[in-house]
Amino acid sequence: MSSKKKLLKKQQKPGEEEAFYASPLFDFLYPFRPVGSQWLTEYVIIIFAIIIRCAISLGSYSGKGTPPMFGDFEAQRHWMEITQHLPISKWYWFDLQYWGLDYPPFTAYHSYFFGKLGSFFNPDWFALNSSRGYESDDNGLKTYMRFTVILSEAVFYIPAVVYFTKWLGKHRNQSPIGQFIAAAAILFQPSLMLIDHGHFQYNSVMLGLTVYAINNLLDEFYGPAAICFVLSLCFKQMALYYSPIFFGYLLSKSLVHPSCNISRFIIVAISTVVSFVVMFGPIYLFGSSSSDDEIIADVSGLNNLIQCIRRIFPFARGIFEDKVANFWCVTNVVIKYRELFTQEQLQFYSLVATLIGFLPSMITIFLYPRKFLIPYALAACSMSFFLFSFQVHEKSILLPLMPITLLYTSTDWNVLSLVCWINNVALFTLWPLLRKDGLVLQYFVCYFLSNWLIGNFSFITPKFLPSFLTPGPSISNIDDDYRRGSLLPHNILWKIIIISSYIVMGAVQILDLFFQPPTNYPDLWIILNCTVGFGCFMLFWLWNNYKIIQMRNKTLNDL
Amino acid sequence: MKSVTKNIKNKTNKDAARFSLWNFWIAALMLKLLLIPDYFSTDFDVHRNWLAITNKLPLREWYYENTSQWTLDYPPFFAYFEWFLSQFVPKFVKEDGCLDILPEGEFGWSTIVFQRLTVIISEILLFVVLQVFINNSGSNEKTQSFVVASSIILSPGFLMIDHIHFQYNGFLFGILIASIVAAKNKRYLLCGLFYSIALCFKHIFLYLAPCYFVFLLRAYVLNFQDFKFKSYKDLILVVQWGNLMKLGGIVVCVMGVCFGPFWRDMNQLLSRLFPFSRGLTHAYWAPNFWAIYSFVDKMLSILFVRVPFNKFINLDKIEERKRWNNGSRGLVEDVFFVILPQIQPNLTFVLTLFYQVLAVVPVLFDPSFKRFIGSLTLCGFASFLFGWHVHEKAILLVIIPFSFLVVCDRRLLSSFMLVGSAGYVSLFPLLFKGQDFLLKCLYLIVWCIIYFFAFRKTIKLSSSVQRRVFFLDRLTIIYIFSLFLMVILIEMIDLFKNRFVVLQKFEFLGLMVYSVYCSLGIISSWIGLSWLYNFDEPLWMPKGGV
Repeated sequence: MSSKKKLLKKQQKPGEEEAFYASPLFDFLYPFRPVGSQWLTEYVIIIFAIIIRCAISLGSYSGKGTPPMFGDFEAQRHWMEITQHLPISKWYWFDLQYWGLDYPPFTAYHSYFFGKLGSFFNPDWFALNSSRGYESDDNGLKTYMRFTVILSEAVFYIPAVVYFTKWLGKHRNQSPIGQFIAAAAILFQPSLMLIDHGHFQYNSVMLGLTVYAINNLLDEFYGPAAICFVLSLCFKQMALYYSPIFFGYLLSKSLVHPSCNISRFIIVAISTVVSFVVMFGPIYLFGSSSSDDEIIADVSGLNNLIQCIRRIFPFARGIFEDKVANFWCVTNVVIKYRELFTQEQLQFYSLVATLIGFLPSMITIFLYPRKFLIPYALAACSMSFFLFSFQVHEKSILLPLMPITLLYTSTDWNVLSLVCWINNVALFTLWPLLRKDGLVLQYFVCYFLSNWLIGNFSFITPKFLPSFLTPGPSISNIDDDYRRGSLLPHNILWKIIIISSYIVMGAVQILDLFFQPPTNYPDLWIILNCTVGFGCFMLFWLWNNYKIIQMRNKTLNDL
Repeated sequence: MKSVTKNIKNKTNKDAARFSLWNFWIAALMLKLLLIPDYFSTDFDVHRNWLAITNKLPLREWYYENTSQWTLDYPPFFAYFEWFLSQFVPKFVKEDGCLDILPEGEFGWSTIVFQRLTVIISEILLFVVLQVFINNSGSNEKTQSFVVASSIILSPGFLMIDHIHFQYNGFLFGILIASIVAAKNKRYLLCGLFYSIALCFKHIFLYLAPCYFVFLLRAYVLNFQDFKFKSYKDLILVVQWGNLMKLGGIVVCVMGVCFGPFWRDMNQLLSRLFPFSRGLTHAYWAPNFWAIYSFVDKMLSILFVRVPFNKFINLDKIEERKRWNNGSRGLVEDVFFVILPQIQPNLTFVLTLFYQVLAVVPVLFDPSFKRFIGSLTLCGFASFLFGWHVHEKAILLVIIPFSFLVVCDRRLLSSFMLVGSAGYVSLFPLLFKGQDFLLKCLYLIVWCIIYFFAFRKTIKLSSSVQRRVFFLDRLTIIYIFSLFLMVILIEMIDLFKNRFVVLQKFEFLGLMVYSVYCSLGIISSWIGLSWLYNFDEPLWMPKGGV
């Protein structure tokens, strides 16, 4: 008997507690069960996660070869260009028609850093004005930009997720391999990979900082949690979707629960204020300038700050921009909001709707500030923002998706099923965007890969192939007859809902791929896509709220 | 969750692991699909051109066609294979220009997808062969076989050469491995059959011919069981004539099917297959003995000009040779040594054959599978290190047989680690584009981590473990770590060459460092293996050195 097998035998029976038992991920990570090789697992997972990101990033990006405006890739590149060539006082004023900077200061600093670094390699990439829409045969700029995303993700997102899964695993006495499987399932979440490394954005920085904040809450470091969350907010204002929950949790922990703790309150308050000041300070301090340029008038520091905030919250734009799977866009098919109401009215209604939407989760987290509730509450809260708030992009689904995906750490089959389902739906709603970016191949590969890894296709494999190939799990000692079922809840009603939603999604996908939409309704397929997505998100959101209230008195082990 | 629990309780057999490559295939497939849009080399157009030639022209003209500079220079089976593939080209791919015979291919996305898919699909053969290999291995060595098989299918070599650079090595090595597997299972006729088929697909396998010849001769044709020398007549009885006929028949048949249709154009065909007009080394020196030789020559030529040796050496002659060298680079890719003696093709041939004979002789005395695979590896080594115009891709000819060998004994591992890491790193310059840098590095690192550890775990410690030289093991580890350091440093030089013009002078230096450093590792690996092969008896005993 080989030494490896001996080591395997020493291990206790593969656990009943293993949520992803018999999935390909389980199969791949099974050889790492021996204690001696566990430390390796983490690195193997992370390296593979980066490899798959590298492979996705070989694809096209948003706005490739489409002058004059290009796309998000050009926007990010343009910010690297203007932040390094212009003084801070002009960052939020310069040529606003061409991708003016409209993210908070941390994004600007991040762009400044990578812009400077990139200019060191090749100044042409970020030359002021002349570099607009820069493309070259050797893909130097693209490679560099892709590298910055991967580096940002490797610093901000991946360690945070790995820490989160390890923390939960440790505090629930989960087997190490179980933790790593959860970490891998989260890291192989297709939507974030495709948007960040395919379409091109830096969402992982914002999401990663939020996960750091969650980790700090888990470890009961409240000041650092506040700092991390403020940084996240200062990277992309979209992190506001999470703010009610952080606000409620921190407030409750420092004032009410378990008792009033003034020093904690002061620490949280100070760290919040200080980090905001540090982030926005340079905008104010270096904001005053007198300019010879006629277009850009003289600005004072305060003006600059106000302009920055005005750029960040563009209330002048419409209630929704592209087609997006939220309440306003989908019901707009029936009720033409833009004709019935003014912009201000719509802003007010959406505010009220959002408020009503996130209040249940916020109140629950305030009354029951329990650690295991945080992902649930964040999911419900950000989902209500996504569904009801003003000016939502289809990419914003990544925000609710992050805490939802963190629930892959759960051991409850029903929760896992819904998490997996909503991940699939979310990726489906991103299809129109990804198709436009020329990422069809990457979309389908990631769709398949993420589902296959967590075992959604395990039931198929054995029956189709000749027996000499002995298909099925390779290394792990799973019984010959055992088939892992797909992730579907036990409840028959949910089963019907989920399966029928998959069927509808498949049908819409096929329509979209192979048939031209009717000429009167050129957007028909996209609207169908949004409608399906909206229905599923709505159902999930309701379930999520129910789950929060139902779980309020449970313990960490029931997550 | 309930259903899961229930099912686990039914489980009785704890060691039910089936060692299927199925999951690995899917995972690798996903990665390969994502690599479709990646950079591809001129080899892509080479193969596209062959598709066009075999599809559009009658068989007799295949080896005469020279519209494109990428003429057909693989043996006929590969040409048939291309013809076979060209039958599946869909209409819209044809319209894309996939099957046009042009000096330089004009094609688009659909041709790329089609050709990439043919590589992916043809590689299934490799998976099937390795699965058969696992299934046929005894229950006590299944884990080892699985590690070997999966290390081959996930090999960074195949990923880099086939799925990025573009070639069909996975498929071709699938056939070669089939013959190795047949040899392991003592199916000698099959072994001969597969080897001759592989040879007719890719003539680089000819380098392994001495080993196959001797092995099959000794194991299948000759029978020394009751041999007692009385007179020379007894020697005739040693030969099992029936077996000889069968084996010879098979080989002749395969060759006949392969070369028969071209019998009238044999000269043309052979001149395409063996173009001796090429130089000793490639533009990028393959990391072999000649890389070090060229390096020493270069160093000496610099040294001699600086140091006043003028009395003994004619400086003008050096200068003249240098100029000649610079002028010819890129055209003929011929290297002209300035100080050291020139190398003739004959010399490389003699050297290769000499080391191959050394490797093959033990098989003559002991035709066991272990000996066979050992000599196969050494034959690969000899041809790679001393051959004429060796390509860096030929390192697969060493690493793949070595993977089968390394599970025999722990002491082979450091030698394998050396050639594995150095050999694959030496492939890096093939993918010179920046976009692949992170991918190729990370993939190789993770492969090295997983498989070096997996081999260490699964390989039995031999009784002769006392004789391991730990100092050398440590040295191996240091070498591998500094290998990655070297890769990063050279990439840095490459990155900064736009910034600092000085660095542009050193562009060739980067490649030189690559090949010299890698060749050091590969040569040490060869020496280590040769030592164990020739002087360590317990290792080659029938029962794994116990």
